[in-house]
Amino acid sequence: MKKIFDKWIIYIILSLIAIPFLIMYTAFFAQVFSKGISLGVIPQKLSFSNFSFLWSTIPWGLEKTRIWGIFLNTLLFASVSGFAVTIVCTLTGYALSRIEFRGRDFFLSMQLILHAVSGQILLIAIFFLLFYTKLLYKIPGVALARASLEIPLGVWMAKGFFDTIPWDIERSAMIDGCTRFQVWYKIFLPLIKPGIGALFIWGFLFAWHDFIYVYTLLPGTVPLLSTLVQSLLATEVVDYGIIAAISLFYMLPPLFLFVFLQKALMKAPIMGGKGIA
Amino acid sequence: MTAKIEKHSPDILTERKRSFLKINSLWYFLSPSVLLVTFFYFIPFLLVFIIAFTNMDQKFNWQFVGLINFLKLFAFKDPLIPRIIRNTIIYIISTLPLTIVGALFISLLTMRINRTASIFFKTVFFFPRLVPPVVWGFLWMWSFEGTRYGVFNSILEGFGVSPIHWFIESPMLIVICANGFLGISLATLIFTSAIASIPKDYTWAAEIDGASFWQTSRFIIIPLLKWPIMTMTAWHLMSFINSYVYIFLITGGGPYHATEVWALYGYNSAFKNHQYGYGSSITVVLVIINLILLVVLLKIFGMRRMIERSRIEV
Repeated sequence: MKKIFDKWIIYIILSLIAIPFLIMYTAFFAQVFSKGISLGVIPQKLSFSNFSFLWSTIPWGLEKTRIWGIFLNTLLFASVSGFAVTIVCTLTGYALSRIEFRGRDFFLSMQLILHAVSGQILLIAIFFLLFYTKLLYKIPGVALARASLEIPLGVWMAKGFFDTIPWDIERSAMIDGCTRFQVWYKIFLPLIKPGIGALFIWGFLFAWHDFIYVYTLLPGTVPLLSTLVQSLLATEVVDYGIIAAISLFYMLPPLFLFVFLQKALMKAPIMGGKGIA
Repeated sequence: MTAKIEKHSPDILTERKRSFLKINSLWYFLSPSVLLVTFFYFIPFLLVFIIAFTNMDQKFNWQFVGLINFLKLFAFKDPLIPRIIRNTIIYIISTLPLTIVGALFISLLTMRINRTASIFFKTVFFFPRLVPPVVWGFLWMWSFEGTRYGVFNSILEGFGVSPIHWFIESPMLIVICANGFLGISLATLIFTSAIASIPKDYTWAAEIDGASFWQTSRFIIIPLLKWPIMTMTAWHLMSFINSYVYIFLITGGGPYHATEVWALYGYNSAFKNHQYGYGSSITVVLVIINLILLVVLLKIFGMRRMIERSRIEV
């Protein structure tokens, strides 16, 4: 009897903590798919009128713009960042996992320290650096700056993936006459496909979600989805229905990417040797 | 180890050529990350120290002004500084315990209930990490809006309570909760996986001996979680000192600087008031605090333990 009573107390405590959040999430979805809500969480009438931004114009500052251009900007920004993180981290992770060189331990601890000191606080200096190198207000430059924030931890992740691969595979490839680069490109990259997927999602997701870099380094002329949501919130008359709908639209693509990449990349030939024989 | 491998590998390359190849391959494997890290970490690091001694303004005209920015900071010539220091301290000493204790509490409780329910609650609490900062900020702004259109006010209206101006009454509390539950979502994930890896025998043995839920948690589980708790505390301490994005999104530091913390004040004085020099000097103080904290934390944790050598070296 006492045990059942204990269980109920646990459920009640957890629910009490969870209820404010459940109210927030329910209100969000109720607002997206209805004309208005009453009592905070009860949708009044099912309607998709909030999604009219998909085919009509939306305000951006004093001008009007269309969502698809903004969507493509965000996609470009996040993809550049994702590719940069993937390429740089797989290269460096391989070297750190397999090659002994002077300063390797220093390099690894450096990455940890860099990760601990968030790059966000150096934003002022990065602003001037991009300003003087004429990369400010341009998507690729800012995307590289954003990607560099994820590199310290990404390098550690990539090193972890390479560490799991047996050394015999590499040795036999090198005896067959592969150079280091060929080993990396032909043998290892196919073997750590899931890891590459994870790294790409990592770089892509953080850039897609990023706000402060985009807001500071790409103002006005280059709208992205995150800055669009913020600018709609900052206007005088706020229409929560449209903002909620755009927020939902903003959150969905990483989810699709994740499902898509998971299907494509989880079939890794980890146990199959070099994938040739 | 090196000698052992060389015995097996074919002796085609001479020693000199071999070492050249090694250096050469190292060069193209490492250069991209070294370039990016130099360009976006080390040069900005130096640059922020240089800008801190100038009077850079919105027209990007500048000249060296010596220590004026730092005098303004430390001689309290800026009337806002005491208030911001107080805000920062309140913010950190309430967000950090909220995160660690809250996450421990939630993960200990979810461990005791059945699987479906615990997955449900964990999803609810992990949600903040999944949504973008802008959307998380939007949810809090909208829920606690002072008019009758805010979520909680509109619920209160149903009970006949007039709208409460949440952001004017207790802005700091909202900011602390928004950031604290963000920390809780990560810490809960770490703690639950750590608890799952504790052998069941320990808790069972304790329960047979008649230990209550509180005693099992206090004397068996929490001591075994020492390492995750320490890493999470260190991690969140650093992140709360440096982070300002969520505060910027939810209140923007207002109303009347009530929620402005040190990192946010640096950002605002640079990009809102366009005093880039002054903003940089605030950042420099932050960077130095970071470095001191890092030294202390590394002393506690020991860097050596984190970097194990790779198993075999070619």
